Amino acid sequence: MCDSCGCDLKPDHTHDSKMIEVHQSLLAANSAMAEKNRAHFDSSGTVVINMISSPGSGKTTLLEKTIEAVGSSIRIGVIEGDIETERDAERIRAKGVPVIQLTTGGACHLDAAQIHKGLHLLEKEKGGDQLDILFIENVGNLVCPATFDLGEHHRMVLVSVPEGPDKPAKYPKAFHSSGLFIISKTDLLPYFDFPVNDATADALRLNPKLRVIPLSATSGDGFDRWLDYLQDICRKH
Amino acid sequence: MHELSLVQNLLQQLHELAEEHRKTRVLTVYMCIGPFSGVVIDSFEFGFETLAKESQLTSEAVLIIENPDAGYRCCGCNTVIKHKHKQKTDQCPNCSETLLIPEGGDELILSRVEME
Repeated sequence: MCDSCGCDLKPDHTHDSKMIEVHQSLLAANSAMAEKNRAHFDSSGTVVINMISSPGSGKTTLLEKTIEAVGSSIRIGVIEGDIETERDAERIRAKGVPVIQLTTGGACHLDAAQIHKGLHLLEKEKGGDQLDILFIENVGNLVCPATFDLGEHHRMVLVSVPEGPDKPAKYPKAFHSSGLFIISKTDLLPYFDFPVNDATADALRLNPKLRVIPLSATSGDGFDRWLDYLQDICRKH
Repeated sequence: MHELSLVQNLLQQLHELAEEHRKTRVLTVYMCIGPFSGVVIDSFEFGFETLAKESQLTSEAVLIIENPDAGYRCCGCNTVIKHKHKQKTDQCPNCSETLLIPEGGDELILSRVEME
């Protein structure tokens, strides 16, 4: 044990050391970049939505159906985040809207620096510099993406009916930090034990301001409320 | 899994601090990680153990993590209720309101560094 501080960590250490007070968030660099992104989106009048969910909850399908439904009334662009492949971007591109695929090469989330790169790439795509709404489809993961501000205006979280109703209770941060909770694939409710009211109540306990929209992109059930939400946020921006 | 990239941010910050203060060895790193930070402390520690070894500056550094209690604000009487280890009660002990919103606890802060 050393004499000057009583520590038993390093018996041989000397005390010509210095304690440096830092008190800075590890996310400071990401947050600064996120603010830059937000300022950029504000100046171009684009509303940005960060979509967070587990893999397979139906984010890309929801986007495909949304693009079909709004037609030319809302100009939509998409930044796709995946660990590998261009597949999601190809699906969106087939719908005729500007899209950029970011592959993280193993990383489990998108960060603000990647979005910064992505938004400049997107602006080079046809129509990519004149968007009403930019969707950022985050890497399928309900944990890590919740920690990283990308510079979005709205954050939404999706849970599909086959995943089960206990996601809000198990992954509180994603629900606590989101403004909208979509329960997707409601056409499968007859086949799964998914009490919509319980899932909604769990989510609202974490975040009383959360808006909840159950919908099915396949049957179109609940889709009106989703489109109303999109028009609403465009109007208010 | 994002803990690893957060540890990389931390190590980057330590290198910058060492350069700024002309120090060559990090002895102790004090972090404050809140219960709603979205960070699993075990994974963060494991990431630090693994990555800190890769540089002479941090190879012997000890990581000390402070884990503050979770807080919940009661929507009824506005009291903040503190809980150990994320254990949330269903009701406010003052007014029995059931709507309690998590407050604070999302700290992910490098508090202090001891260097020589």
